[in-house]
Amino acid sequence: VAQNAMLGTSLEGICPTYIYKVVLLGSTSVGKSSLAYRYVKNDFKESLPTVGCSFFTQTLNLEAGTIKFEIWDTAGQEKYHSVCHLYYRGAHAALLVYDIANKETLNRAKLWLRDLEKEFLPDEIVIALVGNKTDLAAEREVTTEEGEEFARTKDLLFMETSAKSNHQVNDIFTAIAQELLQREREKASAPSPHERSMVDLGESGTRTGCC
Amino acid sequence: EYEEKTGRAHRPLSPKQNVRKNLDFEPLSTTALILEDRPANLPAKPAEEAQKHRQQYEEMVVQAKKRELKEAQKRRKQLEERCKLEDSIGNAVLTWNNEILPNWETMWCSRKVRELWWQGIPPSVRGKVWSLAIGNELNITHELYDICLARAKEKWRSLSTGGAEVECEDTGFSAADREASLELIKLDISRTFPNLCIFQQGGPYHDTLHSILGAYTCYRPDVGYVQGMSFIAAVLILNLDTADAFIAFSNLLNKPCQMAFFRVDHGLMLTYFAAFEVFFEENLPKLFAHFKKNNLTPDIYLIDWIFTLYSKSLPLDLACRVWDVFCRDGEEFLFRTALGILKLFEDILTKMDFIHIAQFLTKLPEDLPSEEFFASIAAIQMQSRNKKWAQVRRMLIFDNR
Repeated sequence: VAQNAMLGTSLEGICPTYIYKVVLLGSTSVGKSSLAYRYVKNDFKESLPTVGCSFFTQTLNLEAGTIKFEIWDTAGQEKYHSVCHLYYRGAHAALLVYDIANKETLNRAKLWLRDLEKEFLPDEIVIALVGNKTDLAAEREVTTEEGEEFARTKDLLFMETSAKSNHQVNDIFTAIAQELLQREREKASAPSPHERSMVDLGESGTRTGCC
Repeated sequence: EYEEKTGRAHRPLSPKQNVRKNLDFEPLSTTALILEDRPANLPAKPAEEAQKHRQQYEEMVVQAKKRELKEAQKRRKQLEERCKLEDSIGNAVLTWNNEILPNWETMWCSRKVRELWWQGIPPSVRGKVWSLAIGNELNITHELYDICLARAKEKWRSLSTGGAEVECEDTGFSAADREASLELIKLDISRTFPNLCIFQQGGPYHDTLHSILGAYTCYRPDVGYVQGMSFIAAVLILNLDTADAFIAFSNLLNKPCQMAFFRVDHGLMLTYFAAFEVFFEENLPKLFAHFKKNNLTPDIYLIDWIFTLYSKSLPLDLACRVWDVFCRDGEEFLFRTALGILKLFEDILTKMDFIHIAQFLTKLPEDLPSEEFFASIAAIQMQSRNKKWAQVRRMLIFDNR
C-alpha cells in the first residue's frame, strides 16, 4: 500500500497518501470502541469490553491528499494501564474520550493527557478531547463549556459526540485529518530536522508494540 | 428445417431439465411427453428421428437413475456418519462416566484417555472433567463461596443505599477502587456473550454471573475484577453449578499464567511472550520473520486470547474444545493454540501489513473449520532444541533476573 502511495506521489505529484496512527484513550465504557465502529462502519451496536487493543482502518479522501487512519482502540480499564500506555507510542493523533454523563471520566482523560505530554512534544501529536454520549443529555454531568474550556487551555481540539445517534463522529476525525495535513504543510514549508510522517516503508520501523 | 423440428421437439424437455436438478427425479413423469406422437396438426416424426429421441431419452433416464442412486448413497453415508458420530459421543460419555471418572487419579494421564480427551469432551461430562482437571488447590468449600457472596451482597447494598462504606478489615484498597470494580462488573455482565441472551439483565444466568464475579472480588481483593474475567466465569457457568463454577474459576485464575496476566504483571507477561516467540520462530520461521519485519509484537493479539482463554475470539464450541485440552495440558496449550491459529492463516497473514494483521488476529473469522483448526494446532511442535515449554520459560525468567 505504502509503495503505491509513494508511486502515486512521485509520478503524479498531486495526491499524496498519508498514513496516520490514531489512538483512542479513555475510561472504560465511555464509548471508544463505539466511536471507532461508528466512524468506520457507520453503525452502532453494543460493543464487547475491549481486552488489550482492537484495530480499525479508515481511508479519507481530502482535496489535499488521501489519509489512511490506523485506529488503535485501547482497553479502558485502569488495571490495563501498565500494558496499554505503550500503545500510544508513535501515534500521530490521540482522541481522549470521556462520557459527558460521568464526571469522573473527564478526570481520567486529563490523566491520559498528562501521560501524553510526557511522551510527546506538542508538535508531535494532535490531541482531541471528545465528550461522548450527547444522547444522554438528561444525565449530563459535564457541561459543554467545561470541556471546551479545558481543551482551550491545553490547546486541544474539542468536540462533543454521540456514537449512538451519530452526532459529530465524522466531524471529529475530519478535524483531526485537517489538523494533521495543516501541520504537514507547515513542516514542508519550513523543513526541520524532525522526522516527517509522510509514509514510506521505513516508517513502520518507528512502530513499537507495547511489550 | 430439421434443426428447427428437433429444436421444437426438445423444447418441452428443457424446463424439466432445470427443475430436475432441484427435485427428486421422477423418470416416469416425462415419459408421456417424449414418447407420445406429435399432435395431429403437425407432421409425424420420421421413424429415424423418433428412434433417436427414444434413445436419447433412455440415456437420460439411465443417467438420472445413476444420479439418483449416487445421491441416495451419499445421503445414506451422511446418515451413517451422523449415527457414527452420535454413537461415538454416546460411547465417549459411557467411557468417561463408567471408566475414567470413577478412576480419575490413575487414569487421567493414560494415553487412551489423553487421546479421547483430544477429540473433545462430551458436553454432558465436560464440567465434571474440567473441575477434576483444574483441581482445588485452594481448598475452597461451598461455605467459603457463600461467605464471599454474602460479603459482596453487603457491599452492593451499602453502595446502592449510599450508606457508610463497609470497610474490609483485611485490605488496604481504596473504597473508590472497589466501588469501580463493582460498577464495572455490572456494566460488563450485559456485555458478556450478548448474543446468547442469557447473561443480560433478566436473563437466567445474569445473577449467577454477578454473584461469582462479586464473590471473587471479595475472595481476592488484591486481584479484583479485571475485564475478560466475565467471559471465563460465563463459560464455567455454562458447564457447572454455581458454587463449583466459583471453585473452578478461583483455582483457574490462581494458575501462574493467569495470575501473571490478571494482576497485569507486565514483567512476567513479557516472559510469556518471549517464550511464545521462541516456539513461534521454531514452528513458523517465515511468518515469524514477516511479523518481525512489520514490528508486530505478540502482545497485540495474545493479550485478548490469553485473558479470555479464547472465549471471546473463537466460536463458543471451538473455545470449549480449546479449554478441554488446556485443562489437560496446562498453559502451554494456550500458546500452542495461538501458534495453531497463526499456522492456519499463515498464507494470508504473510501477505498482510501491520494494521491488517492486527485487525485480522483481533477479530478472527467467525466460520473457523473445527477439524482444520485442530489439525493445525496438532501440527505445532512444543519442543525447541529439545527444550519443552516449561524449560524455555524457566530459562527466560532466569535471564530476566
